[in-house]
Order: sequence, then C-alpha cells, then structure tokens
Amino acid sequence: MPDSAPTKTVNLPGNHACALGAIAAGCRFYAGYPITPSSEVAERMSVELPRVDGVFIQMEDEVASMGAILGASMGGMKVMTATSGPGFSLKQENIGYAAGAEIPCVIVNVMRGGPSTGLPTRPAQADVMQARWGTHGDHPIVVITPDSVPEIYAQTIRAFNLSEQLRVPVVMLYDEALGHLIEQVSLSGSGDIEIANRKWAADPKPEFQPYASGDDLIPEMVRPGDGFRTHTTGLTHAENGFPTQDPELVDQYMRRILDKLEIHNALIESFEAIDTEDADYLVVAFGITARAARRAIKQAREQGVRVGMFRPITLWPFPVAAFESIVGGKHGVLIAEMNAGQLITEIERYRPAGCRVDGLNRIDGETITPRQILNSLRELADNE
Amino acid sequence: MPDFEVRISGSGGQGILLAGRILADALGHEALNVAQSQSYEPTSRGGLSRADLVASDARVDYPLASDLDYLVILDDIAATASNDLLRQDSLVVVDSPLAELCELNGHEVRYLPISETARALGDLRSTNMVALGALTSLAGFCSQDKLLAAVTRVAPAKLHAAATRAILKGYAITEF
Repeated sequence: MPDSAPTKTVNLPGNHACALGAIAAGCRFYAGYPITPSSEVAERMSVELPRVDGVFIQMEDEVASMGAILGASMGGMKVMTATSGPGFSLKQENIGYAAGAEIPCVIVNVMRGGPSTGLPTRPAQADVMQARWGTHGDHPIVVITPDSVPEIYAQTIRAFNLSEQLRVPVVMLYDEALGHLIEQVSLSGSGDIEIANRKWAADPKPEFQPYASGDDLIPEMVRPGDGFRTHTTGLTHAENGFPTQDPELVDQYMRRILDKLEIHNALIESFEAIDTEDADYLVVAFGITARAARRAIKQAREQGVRVGMFRPITLWPFPVAAFESIVGGKHGVLIAEMNAGQLITEIERYRPAGCRVDGLNRIDGETITPRQILNSLRELADNE
Repeated sequence: MPDFEVRISGSGGQGILLAGRILADALGHEALNVAQSQSYEPTSRGGLSRADLVASDARVDYPLASDLDYLVILDDIAATASNDLLRQDSLVVVDSPLAELCELNGHEVRYLPISETARALGDLRSTNMVALGALTSLAGFCSQDKLLAAVTRVAPAKLHAAATRAILKGYAITEF
C-alpha cells in the first residue's frame, strides 16, 4: 500500500477483513491449511501477500502451518495462520512453543460446531476455554473476540501490535456467522494506522543474554544475521536461552512470562459497556451473540426492564477489573453464548454476592437470536 | 426509512447472491448501513440459496435476518423455507409458476411472471435481475438510476447490458 492511501469504505466478508487487517498491520508471511469456515482468510492472503512482496504458503497440514509461521517469525517477519476448531486442536503444541519461547504470531480461529469435525459450516462459540487452555502448562496467551466486520479489521491490526509488543501468541477468535457476514468497512489510509513493532536487540556483545529483560519483562528479539549468539527452545530456559531445571531460574522464567501480561494489562484489556450505568441487569456476550444482545437490550428497555451489556473484546485475559466495576450492584447477569456454558464459569467467579447468574446456551449450530435473549432477560427479571 | 430486512431466495446457480450484493451496494450508496449474509451449506447448485440484507440508517444491531420485511421466492426449493421469518405485513414477491407451492395466506403477496420475463428476454439466467428490478420497484428502496449504477459497480462488465435490460423489465412487470 502506498503511504498516501486514503481511507475507503468497502463491503467485505469478515474473513477478508481479517486478511486486510493483517496486511495493514504489516503481516508478510502466511502459512495455512484451508479449513471451513476460515478458508477465505487464506484465499485473500494468497491474493494480497504477493502484492506486498510477502510470502503465502499452503502447507501440507495444520501442524506444519503453525510451525512455518513460528520459523518465519523467528526470522523477523510478522506472521499469521487461520484455522477452525479441528485445526486449532492440531496447532496447540506449537502454540505452546510460541508462548514458551515468546515468538510473536497471530492465530485466527473461525469457530464452527464441535467436537471433532463437528459442523463445518455452522457457527459456534465453543472454543472459549480451548483458546485459553488448549495447550498444556501455565502459559501466557491473548485472545481477542470481535463482534462485527469492521471490528475484525481493526482488532486484527491490534492483535499484531500486541503480539509484537508482548512477544506472545494472539488468537483472533470469532464465529462462522461473523466470518461470512458482509458489512461495510472503512479501510484506514496507511498513514492512519498505529503499528507497533517488536523490540530488536542491537549491539551484539559476547555477554548478550537473549532472554534477559528490563522492567517491562519483555526480552529484545534477535534478528538472524545481526551477529548475536542465541538459542531458542521449548524447554524451560534461563536468560541465556539454554535449558535449565534450577528451581530458582525456572521460577524466574515462569513468573516473568506470566507477569508480563499482568503488568501490561492496560494495553491488553478491552471491552465495551453499553447502557450499564443505570442497569439492574447485565447481559454478557461476545461475537455474533453480542449483536443479538444489542437489539435485545433495546427491546428490554422498551418493556421497562433496565438492561445493559458488558462485552469483552479481549476475552483472555478476561477484563476482570472492568467487569467487577460494572457488575457491582446489579441484580442479575445473563451470559449468552453458543456453547454449553464456558464463559459463565468465569462470570460466576467474579459475581457479587446476591447477584443471580443465568446462562443462555445454544448448541444446535444456530445463532442465538435477540428474541431468545429478551425472553431469558424477562425470566431473569421475573424470578430474581 | 426504518430498519428493514430483505431476503432473496431461490436455488444455487440462479444468481441469488449477485442480486443481493447489487442491492446491498445500492443501499450503501443511499447512506444506509447494510449487513449481508447468505446460505453457507455443503450444497451449491440446485440447493436452497438465499441472500439476506439487514439495512439501517443507524448501526445494524443484529445483522442476521430474523423478521423479514421483504421476501423474494424464485425456486420451488425456496417456496416455504422462509415462512418462519415472515410477519403479517411482510411483502412477498413470488415467481408466478411457484404460486401453488407457497403457503402465504395472510401475507401481502405479488405473484409476478419473473422467470417468464427472463425467458422472453432470451436468457433464463437473468431471472435474478428481473426479480431485483421488480422488488426494488415495489419496495422503493432507491431510485432506478441508483440500482443500475450499483450493477455497474458490482456485476462483471460482460453482464452489465443484459442485467440492465432485465432490471428494467422487472420494473415494467410491476406496473400492471
């Protein structure tokens, strides 16, 4: 894109908006194994990347796709892959490697019904917990969940920025309905986009420690060919990059990779609160379900039930402080999600005493409608 | 115009999605926010195909069709498929040979010779554009000029002349 590119508005499906957001963020390497309902991300990247001298590779499988983007990221590129539930399962080992070795990358999971191959063409929101805990061990990860096509574009850019700044894998998590929904998107002129880049190590000295960090807890990355001696491993490592089982060094490493998200929470946290101040009840929803909730809370207010919505945009780490400040004093919370009850466990952890928590769950491959949310809200208000 | 929902339905291969994209583009140039969704199933040619639009002068809240203001039915496979989403005051436009298959008692229905008109134009494949012209004429979404301008922006160039002709015929068959 030339520097002078002006803002323009176009009709785009969600998956194409994701691809264009990635290109705008500086992604120049994509490896993937097409899978419904995410394939249009790969399709669009295969068109866009050659135009910006980037690299697109259709890999032999999901595991190799994840490995390829990590290698390219270690080589200095901004990278992305896209998949859906079955592929997301296969990628988990290498996602853990990215978390442990602190390799920036963006993984898109366009959710379909599961388990197993499940419902390839139908939407679901059942990878909430997998996105957080799909790979083993305590690990840092950021998960972002947009609720519109313009937001897919904007948040994909943000996903790259966070991944680069924090050296952490970032998951873009949205459902099939949003992936294929077409909405108007204002594509920013390239000068208007805020781009963050990883910190590069400079000045290669013999005593260089590739995993040493300052107060920000984020080590500088080593650009291959810059003359540094470095080592990358999935084994728990000391600041010199080599494996260690020394309890003190293990503890130091583990706390640093977990704490780095905590101390940068202001950068990571994002949410939307609609009509929450005077509300007696809250709906918590994300993705396509939040769109249904937008209409339902309007209709509920027309019927005299004062309802607001809390919508996590950053799903993980869950925006706890924001949620706690908003939920205080509410009589009840309704969590609407297209799964059997995943986010509700997080909400129950933070509910104030005396606040009723109801779940509205749909697991039949169809979206939750505004009418269903309205009915559940009335039930919550009547029984509270 | 308040928020409204449109569904064009027929079978895969009829150009249902192209008709939806043209209408969405035209409405977008009327300064409306438009969300489009479509059938997404393992079947394509011959299976149920639908293009849905939700339009609003504000931000579209729920972007999927749930209460149709306008429905177009162009194939027997679509005859009753959308009945659950109809309201009493929905306007339904039906290709007249399908009349017996539909169950639309109580709704405002216009049975129009859509496919017959396309055949008379020499190409049954322009059924979608005849329907788009007829629907836009009856609903008054936008001016004819704006709809035709959307055709030139959205449809492949080789279709412009035929699509324009078919849309104008679609307007004409509503004027009886």
